[in-house]
Amino acid sequence: MEKSPGIIEALGLFKQYGDVAAVNNVSLSVGKGELFGLLGPNGSGKTTMIKMLTGQIRSDGGSATVLGLDVEKDPIGIRELVGIIPEQETPPSFLTSTEYLDFVGEVRHIANVEKKADWWFDFLDFSDKRDVLCKDLSRGTRQKLMFTQAFLHKPVLALIDEPLINFDPIMQHKVKDYLAEYVRSGNTIFLSTHILQIAEEICTGFAILHKGKLLHTGTVAELKQRDQHLDDFFFSLVQKESHV
Amino acid sequence: MFKLFTNMMKEEWRIHSTIFGSLSFALFPVMIFGIAFMGSFLLPLFRTVIPRGDLSTIVHALFLLLGIMVGAFGLIGQEAMNRRFGQASLLAYSAKSLPISVQEIFCTFVVKDTVYYFFLWVLPFVGGFAIASPFIGIPLLLPALLLLTLTLAFLTGLSVVFFLSTVYARSKPALGIILALILIAGAGLYLFAGINIALFFPPLMLFYSFSWVLLGLTCAVILILSAVAILLFTSEYADTTKRYDSALSPLAQRLSFFPYPPLAAKDLIDLSRSGSFIGQTIFSFLIPLGLLWFLLSVLTRLLPPGGVLLLFAILTGVIASTMYTWITAFDSYNSYTCLPVSVRALLTSKMCSFAMLQLIPFVLIIVVSLLTRGVAYLIPALVLCLSVSFFSLAITVWLTGLSPGVMVYDAKVLVTYLFVLGIALIVLIALMFVNPDYALVSVLLFLPGWFFVRQGYAKWDILDQPTF
Repeated sequence: MEKSPGIIEALGLFKQYGDVAAVNNVSLSVGKGELFGLLGPNGSGKTTMIKMLTGQIRSDGGSATVLGLDVEKDPIGIRELVGIIPEQETPPSFLTSTEYLDFVGEVRHIANVEKKADWWFDFLDFSDKRDVLCKDLSRGTRQKLMFTQAFLHKPVLALIDEPLINFDPIMQHKVKDYLAEYVRSGNTIFLSTHILQIAEEICTGFAILHKGKLLHTGTVAELKQRDQHLDDFFFSLVQKESHV
Repeated sequence: MFKLFTNMMKEEWRIHSTIFGSLSFALFPVMIFGIAFMGSFLLPLFRTVIPRGDLSTIVHALFLLLGIMVGAFGLIGQEAMNRRFGQASLLAYSAKSLPISVQEIFCTFVVKDTVYYFFLWVLPFVGGFAIASPFIGIPLLLPALLLLTLTLAFLTGLSVVFFLSTVYARSKPALGIILALILIAGAGLYLFAGINIALFFPPLMLFYSFSWVLLGLTCAVILILSAVAILLFTSEYADTTKRYDSALSPLAQRLSFFPYPPLAAKDLIDLSRSGSFIGQTIFSFLIPLGLLWFLLSVLTRLLPPGGVLLLFAILTGVIASTMYTWITAFDSYNSYTCLPVSVRALLTSKMCSFAMLQLIPFVLIIVVSLLTRGVAYLIPALVLCLSVSFFSLAITVWLTGLSPGVMVYDAKVLVTYLFVLGIALIVLIALMFVNPDYALVSVLLFLPGWFFVRQGYAKWDILDQPTF
């Protein structure tokens, strides 16, 4: 598949915490209309990578652009355009679900936010939690709320960190379908996960990170052509790297 | 059990050292020691205006309060930790995942708190006083007695809060009955017999007249309260889910004159729903200021006309500036990182919310000036109070960003804050003693204040936000 350049371009990104290089000289490119999976074991640097690409933290080296904007120079500009689901679902404790979505709507200047929120409450099946304080929501419901806030303004690009981890199988199925359809309509998704089955089902392109290093970038279609499953490929690659 | 105890000790140390930095936190007992040591030399001065008995009562009350605060934090620690650290957990909440009974965990938790805070607070405080004692003519027996009675005061606070919280978990009406009985007994003794119930506080009684029987009784009170708490302790709490009508958008519309209306509306909702607005106003503002007014009124004869009101206005300004911690206590910047909200916008919005809260000191100063017939000094007092409050806010923003409640415990931050604010206050106090109207000069503090705010913007908008 021919990639359209410019949605996400990372060049030699580097981030260090103490003596550990959490992300070590990672370069990758994500084109328009891709559902790109960033895969890796726990602690491989996936979350750090997403945080750098959305200007939540600053890199210690390298550069990146998202939707043509420099992540270092215009992090707020990027966050205006994209949708983000963080790894830890932390909606404000003392706002209700409805109020949080109103809050997001006000901050993002979204028109008809009530109507849009209604659709999401119904779609993700948490209408009965509209007036409950966020601090009293279960983790699954918080995840639904965070999912909603990320897509409320219909961003052209969404960066999502472990999007399905707190959902039950029915909701996982529903959300996977939504993401696939979202990409088909011309948008782009960059998701990080360590659940390989999900990645194989819905991703078009993928990259594998291990201990901060980029081990591989490719497409699921290429693997299928080689009659190879993503999990086998992943394990062989990570094990080889671990022995090195 | 010992393994659990040592791990809980490590955990407590790591929580504090993660929040405050290892070195800063290690220096905390040293700072307490230094303050107690230097403060002891002021005792002869205090004694001229405050009777010895009152001072002893205040010190014991402070350690009782410390015990209550430590106990309360232990019980709400999980939620507090989750706000600061994200998804955090403590060993104290691990009864469901480890083969240890909740009673055993709770018992170890009580012992851990006792040992940990004895070395963190009680020992350094009494140590500083003990070292200074020979220089101010106090026999060494007194610090030794104080070490015992302050430890017992702390433990009483700890056991009382554990006891009340376990009663609350079992039965809210039972807690209401217990509190009502205490209130009725205290009020009855005071109103009908003129007896101050505080004098029956066992550690204080022990301090005034030591006896082995009284020591046994004091320890028995603590042990009984703790034992009942341990026996009654349950980790099952009733569902407290609350539902609310949507209030954010209407409130944001009413606050549309603010630069970031939804952020300001959120601050007000946080304050209101958390119970902080009333609770903090009473316990962190009115009660400390009531105590300060009482202390300052003793100085009436020593100060020039209007001096007490103006000095009170300054101190009200300093305490009012801590309202910034009320509105930053509910969220870290992490909650906003998925939205297009900059640190600068958040700081600006928090300062606007702070400005709204300044209505409280504004009204207080008017009421106090009316009650004390100090209307002639009302304008200088108001200007002084608000100028000091906003100046102190500006220093806080510069030094601590969005985390004042945490970073103020960093020794370097605290010393810088006290130094910068101290210089301004000394100049203002000197000026107002020359002429009360010179207090109006305090309005000039807005200039350096603006400078500090700009420094704060530059400092916190550039760096990755600290995570605690």
